[in-house]
Amino acid sequence: MRVLVAGIACSLVLGGCLPLTGARPATNAQSSKLAQAQATHEYPSPPPARQNVAAASATAPQAIRAFATAYINWTAGTVAADSRTLASESIGQARSMMTLAAAQTAQDYELQRGGIANRGTVEATAPLRGSRDRYVVITRELTTATNTSAYQGLRPGWHLAIATVTQLSPGRWVVSAWQPES
Amino acid sequence: MLRKDRLGVPGRGAIATAGVVAATASAGLGAAILALLITAFGARGGCSGAPVGAPGSIALGAPGTGQLVGATEYGGPGDPSSGTTGASGADLLEHPDSYAELGGYTFQTATAMGGLPYMTPLRVTWGDRSAIAYKRDFGFGGGPIAGLPRVIDLWWQFAVALGVPYDSGLWSGAVRIERPPDAGAGNVLGQASVTGGMLSAPASSAGDPGACAPALAGVPLTPGQRARVLPDGRAAAPQDAPPAVRQIIAAGNQIVGKPYLYGGAHGLPLSQVAAAYDCSSSVEHLLYGARLLPVSYDAPSGELESFGVPGLGRWITIYANPDHVFMYVAGLRWDTHDAAGAGDGSTGIGWHPLVRSSAGFVPRHPSGL
Repeated sequence: MRVLVAGIACSLVLGGCLPLTGARPATNAQSSKLAQAQATHEYPSPPPARQNVAAASATAPQAIRAFATAYINWTAGTVAADSRTLASESIGQARSMMTLAAAQTAQDYELQRGGIANRGTVEATAPLRGSRDRYVVITRELTTATNTSAYQGLRPGWHLAIATVTQLSPGRWVVSAWQPES
Repeated sequence: MLRKDRLGVPGRGAIATAGVVAATASAGLGAAILALLITAFGARGGCSGAPVGAPGSIALGAPGTGQLVGATEYGGPGDPSSGTTGASGADLLEHPDSYAELGGYTFQTATAMGGLPYMTPLRVTWGDRSAIAYKRDFGFGGGPIAGLPRVIDLWWQFAVALGVPYDSGLWSGAVRIERPPDAGAGNVLGQASVTGGMLSAPASSAGDPGACAPALAGVPLTPGQRARVLPDGRAAAPQDAPPAVRQIIAAGNQIVGKPYLYGGAHGLPLSQVAAAYDCSSSVEHLLYGARLLPVSYDAPSGELESFGVPGLGRWITIYANPDHVFMYVAGLRWDTHDAAGAGDGSTGIGWHPLVRSSAGFVPRHPSGL
């Protein structure tokens, strides 16, 4: 990064791109970026491209319920594909997390060999106090396995997640962050 | 409800009932009678056609592994003084899959298993059966049982379901206990920010010193997210680290400074502390500390090339190849060679603050860590 910053500084000077007159705003912006880079050792990158989603919901609660229901209902044979689908239907951190989950579960030998599956229901969703876009999600889930006794006899358990939703356009809501807390 | 644990004297009726049970059991009809007793005492329990996990059901499974501990049973016709309501407030007749953690007269002091939260599941194995029970009670307990620390009291209906003889609530013996894996999508996928509490070892003063797993209570802590080597060679665990990381560090601290011996500790259960270790057995001991490996796991370094998931971990990364294995835990290297850096020739087993080359090694990490 320092090389990059130095290169940018050199190009600004040697390239003669500092006009003697006029275009002051651009110069300020450039020098501001450079000053920021020198201070933080990070050169600001352009904003990421807008993420397109395969599906969206009419309301925030609907988006959360759809995401949560898919997140907790899968088998070892479907979890990778289900995660990819969830990634395509979400944005931001939720998409990153589900993309990672898809990659990891596809080659998770223990998950496949154990025949692990998860099923459950979304029991409640409620907006977090003081937040317009964050919800607490309560699910009741049962994890099972066909080829290992590790989960045998376990009762369904309560689980909690924090969901963040984003409105892409009127009537189009998606989950943008998903953090299971338990 | 706080129980005094076997101090009460059962009434005549209870003794008579237990006598019938014992006699009938000896005649080979014990299971049927015991089932009848369970039905009678658990009339408010599950009903036919109830879904999996309905109140009252106890699903038996194959024997598990885990730690051998001293256990007792309580409740039932021979032990009316124990009542039927757990200290958690739960009706134990409605929830027969219950146990009490022993060790004290209050929830805060009954910590023979580390102070488990209510509803912590444990797989309890007795003989060739196992089942999951949930903590809904605590009790005072008592002295060791067969040389093992007395840590758990099984609700009598649960004990009977396991095949434990009902001895008027006076049975005591050894069972194996282990935490089942954390369930739920977030945990299975390694994405939950809070995982279930880990089972700590019972107080080793009364137990088998050869079967002591690391206890979190004894792990020194250091602020932040990086572990730190202490002057005595142990490591201080980061305060911000997940419990599993602290468990691993605790396990490492158990064997810091042990001599290196090629093949050392192989063939022994990972719950035991051996006299000497090699690279793979020491790494496996640490991973077992967080129950990331089964107690019977025993493999050379090359097999750890397929441990967990590929790549670097947030907290833990294992570097394995067929000749050697070492790992990083919260920034510290756990290794059996080159404590002071590459090529220094030392062979001390322990924590090393300096990195080493990972060329030729396969990086792996536990999912979620």
